Formats: sequence, structure tokens, C-alpha cells
Amino acid sequence: MTDTVHDMPGRRSAYPRLTGGLRHAVLIAISFVMVYPILWMVSGSLRPASELFGGDAGLIPSQVTVQAYRDGWFGLQVNFGRFFVNSLIISVLATVGNVIAASLVAFAFARLRFYGQKFWFALMLGTLMLPYHVTLIPQYVLFRELGWVNTWWPLILPKYFAVDAFFIFLMVQFFRAIPRELDEAARMDGCSAWRIYRKIILPLSMPVLATAAIFSFIWTWEDFFGPLIYISEMSQYTVQLGLRSFIDSSGTSSWNALFAMSVLSLVPIFLIFLFFQRLLIEGIATTGMKR
Amino acid sequence: MAAYDTMSKPDTRKQGAAGGWLAGAIRRNGAGYLFLAPWLIGFFCLTLGPALASLYLSFTNFDLLSAPEFIGAQNYVRMVTADPRFIASIRVTLVYVALSVPLKLAFALAVAMVLNRGMRGLPFYRAIFYLPSLLGTSVAIAVLWRQLFAADGLVNSLLAQIGIEGPSWISNPNYSLYTLVVLSVWQFGSPMIIFLAGLRQIPTDMYEAASLDGASPTRQFLRITLPLLSPVIFFNFVIQTIEAFKAFTPAFVISGGSGGPINSTLFYTLYLYQEAFSYFRMGYASALAWVLVVIIAIFTAFSFLTTKYWVHYDD
Repeated sequence: MTDTVHDMPGRRSAYPRLTGGLRHAVLIAISFVMVYPILWMVSGSLRPASELFGGDAGLIPSQVTVQAYRDGWFGLQVNFGRFFVNSLIISVLATVGNVIAASLVAFAFARLRFYGQKFWFALMLGTLMLPYHVTLIPQYVLFRELGWVNTWWPLILPKYFAVDAFFIFLMVQFFRAIPRELDEAARMDGCSAWRIYRKIILPLSMPVLATAAIFSFIWTWEDFFGPLIYISEMSQYTVQLGLRSFIDSSGTSSWNALFAMSVLSLVPIFLIFLFFQRLLIEGIATTGMKR
Repeated sequence: MAAYDTMSKPDTRKQGAAGGWLAGAIRRNGAGYLFLAPWLIGFFCLTLGPALASLYLSFTNFDLLSAPEFIGAQNYVRMVTADPRFIASIRVTLVYVALSVPLKLAFALAVAMVLNRGMRGLPFYRAIFYLPSLLGTSVAIAVLWRQLFAADGLVNSLLAQIGIEGPSWISNPNYSLYTLVVLSVWQFGSPMIIFLAGLRQIPTDMYEAASLDGASPTRQFLRITLPLLSPVIFFNFVIQTIEAFKAFTPAFVISGGSGGPINSTLFYTLYLYQEAFSYFRMGYASALAWVLVVIIAIFTAFSFLTTKYWVHYDD
């Protein structure tokens, strides 16, 4: 109940009830509970199949083995390596599309002037709220007519048309903060809009482009619904679909192999998180969107 | 790229030479519309067109193989009068939204307040708390959740250590939905980050002045933090609620796509998926999609209407 806690010199804590030590204890306890399930999954994936997980809530396996990874990797007719390659290709192509298309469109909204600009911008923001289920079935019919069911096109191509307004919005916010004098000076020198976009805006916008790329990659990687409805042939599966059919085919008998593949599927996201968490956190804090 | 260059170089053209308003209009607007083109195409072909098409399909009987057959409002009538699974999915989804969103936001706000004001180790804690949000919707986490709450899973073996024999959470219709609520609350990280950013906007001296006047921490929370944070709370509330209405993957994976046991995890989106892609009742599924839009729109409009009573802007 003291109000003398100083977290930083000259700053007074607004909530003096939790003093320094106690505060850390609470936070560490919460962190532990948060992370424990993930650690438990990693530990489970390193256990031998005979060691049933019931009864052992601990994290230390009696015996460490990578057998589960071997079993899981080759557990389906098509091995998981293929799923990883598929997911990687789809995610990279989708990310490239998202970043290019969203930056072009955001440039138009943030830096150019044209008739109807406000109208289109309002419409674009409107689509942020629209649940994708509304377009789902006609889109499916459309892609089916084009013969693209069971291909990756429905998962990749829409990103080249900036269908996810979140990314446009994210970039508009950033582009608007770049000093206008830069454009005007360039325009005086006879620069075209394209050159201003390429030579001024893009180079100054690396942080937001990186943020968009990271989110785009992670969301495509984690996407389950899209692949679920469009892809039926196992050789075309993404990692998420692979995991899903692994559940169906193995039941609970090889839970540790299932854990092993689950852990692997999270590795790319975890690595991105490790290296780029500042960008992710700033991206969320500035747009306040989604996950 | 060549197209951009030729079309968007207004200054290299002879002004007025081409004459007429058309040339002028192109000169003034051409560049803008060229940059906008990807989105415009996407908007008309992949958003607006399909949305209108699904509105039409919602009044038809359509199985994907034969042409849609117009049946008036029958799909909507059937929904409310003769479809117990629709009612079940609405109930499940509303319970999920009503429980998971407030709990998640309360937790996010509580942790953000403990973390507030540049304490040591903040980046570390923030990263740890954010991680579940990021891994959130992947199938692996749903797999993990299934095993956590399985009859012989982690939760029950922890309970066993204190002498409680837990039920099989996932396969018991009384509990299965709550395991998904817990999963959602576990992902409180991203609203927490937004709360942290919001808390940082509140000037420290307001609290100092309040302390000097002898205001208790509870009073400070009620009189300073809550009002000044209310726009952020409102924002998080709307976004999280819409996301909760759209939740799909965890329920799909945990119930094996069935929404079971006994429809207890039949999320609205899962029901829509089944109607469309298991039974190929595309017309009916389109109607379901439009009902979802209406539900979300009503909710959002209603939330905005309430803002004048509790959200303080620029005070």
C-alpha cells in the first residue's frame, strides 16, 4: 500500500499496490501458465510412443527420442516435407502479392489525389468489417468454373488484388506520416507518380512493408479454412491440412507423432516471432487490428 | 510498369494541347486510378460481385451441379422455423462470444495495467503474453488443446494430483464449449498490446494529482483509467467480438469437424461450412452468411449507439 514505487527514475507507478517484487512474481506466474502448454507439447513430442501422457504433467521425459518426429514425418502417404514446401510456396507468393498490391493501393489513397478518392476509401474501410463468408460461396463457384479447385490459385491470386483491406489500412497510416514536401519536390523535378512511389515512398517505408509481410506470411501459413475448402489432393496439402488429416488417420494412438508435427508446424512462426517481435507488436499497437 | 510510366507523367505532356475535359480528367486522375486498379478489380470481382451473388443465391436452392432455383425467402423461413441445428449454432456462438470476449478483455486489461509504465522486463513479458495470440488459430494449437483437455490430458493429471478426478472435457457436451472459451482467453495478448499503447497515452500527472488528493487506487481506476481508456476498450470490444463471431478452426479441429458432442461446439461458421461443403446446400449456406452479416451489423451499430453513454472522446 505504499506509493513510493519508482519503476523508472522520475516516474511514479500509477498502481502502487503491487510492489516491484510482488509484481514480477505475479507476472512470472502468469507467463509460466501461458507457456506451459506449449512446453508440454514440445516435451511430449520428444517422448517415446509407449510413454502415455496421462499421469505425467511434468516436462521432463524419462527418455528423449526423436522417433515421434520420424513417425510423424512419414506418417501419411505423402510426407510432411512436401506439405512444408507447399505451405512455404503459397505463403511466400501470397505475401509478395499482398505487399505489392497493398502498397500500390495505399500509395493512391495516401499520396495521390483523384476524383472519388474519399468514396473508395470509405468503401475499402467498409470491407474491413465484412465477414468473408459473404463472398465465400460465389468465389468458390467462380474458382471452380475457372478449373482452379485443387490448385493453389484461390489461395494466392486474391492477394494480388489487395482483398485484405487490413494491409492497405496499415500502409495508409504509415504513408500519410511521410512528409509531403518530399513528393512535392520530386514532382517539381518532373518525377512521375510511379517514380515517387518507387524511389521515395517505398524506401522510406521499409518498417511497414516488413510488418505487412510478416503478418501476411503468418496468416497465410496458419490459414486453415482456405486450403480446407479448395484443396483435396494430398500432394497439394498445406501443413495445416496435413496436421488435420494426421488427426483423422492416427486417432489418439500416435499422439506423440501428432505433437511432433504440430511443433514443427509452429517453428516458422516462432522463428519470425523471435526475430521480428518488435515489428509485430508495433503493427498491432498502431492499427490495433486482429490477432 | 511501362503503363504506369506513360500514364502517370502529367508534366511531360503538353498541357491543354490534347484539349477537352477528358484529357484533363485523365491527366488529373489517371495515376490515382492506375495505382488503385488492383484493389478496384479485387473489389468488384472478388468482394462486391460475389457478395451480391451470394445475396441472390440466398433466395435459391443451389447444389453447385444444377442451376440455382429461385425459392423466395424459404431458406430464411426454414432457418427460424425448422432448423434445430441453426438454433443450436446461434446459441453456441452467442454463449461463446458473451463469455470469451469480456473475459479476454478483462484479462488483457488487468495484465496491461500490471505491465504499465516501463517496468523492467516489460519487453520480455509482453512477448511471452503475445505469443499465444500469434500461434492462435493454427491447427497445432487446436491439437494441443484437444490433448490438454482430453480425459487423460494435462489438465486432468494436474487435477489428479490434488485428488480431483476430472471429466473428459472435450467429449462432454457440458464442458466442451468452455474449453474453447479458455483457448480464446489464453490468446489475450493482442488486445493487451493495444491496451498498453492506450494506457501510455494517459498522462502520469493525472494519477499524481489524484494521489495527492488522497484518491484510492480503485477510485483512480474508476475515475481516470476507465474513462480515458474507454475509446480503446470500445475498439477492442468491437474487433474481438467480430473475430469471435467468425471463429472456426479450434471448433473444427477439436470436434473433428462435427461441432459435437451433441452440437455443443457447433460454431455458426462451422455450421455454415457443413451446409455448404458437406451437404452442398449452397443457397442455404449463402442465407446463413447473410444472417451473419446482419448479426454483426446489428451488433456493431448497437455498440456505436451505446458509446455516448460510456465512451469519452477527447475529454
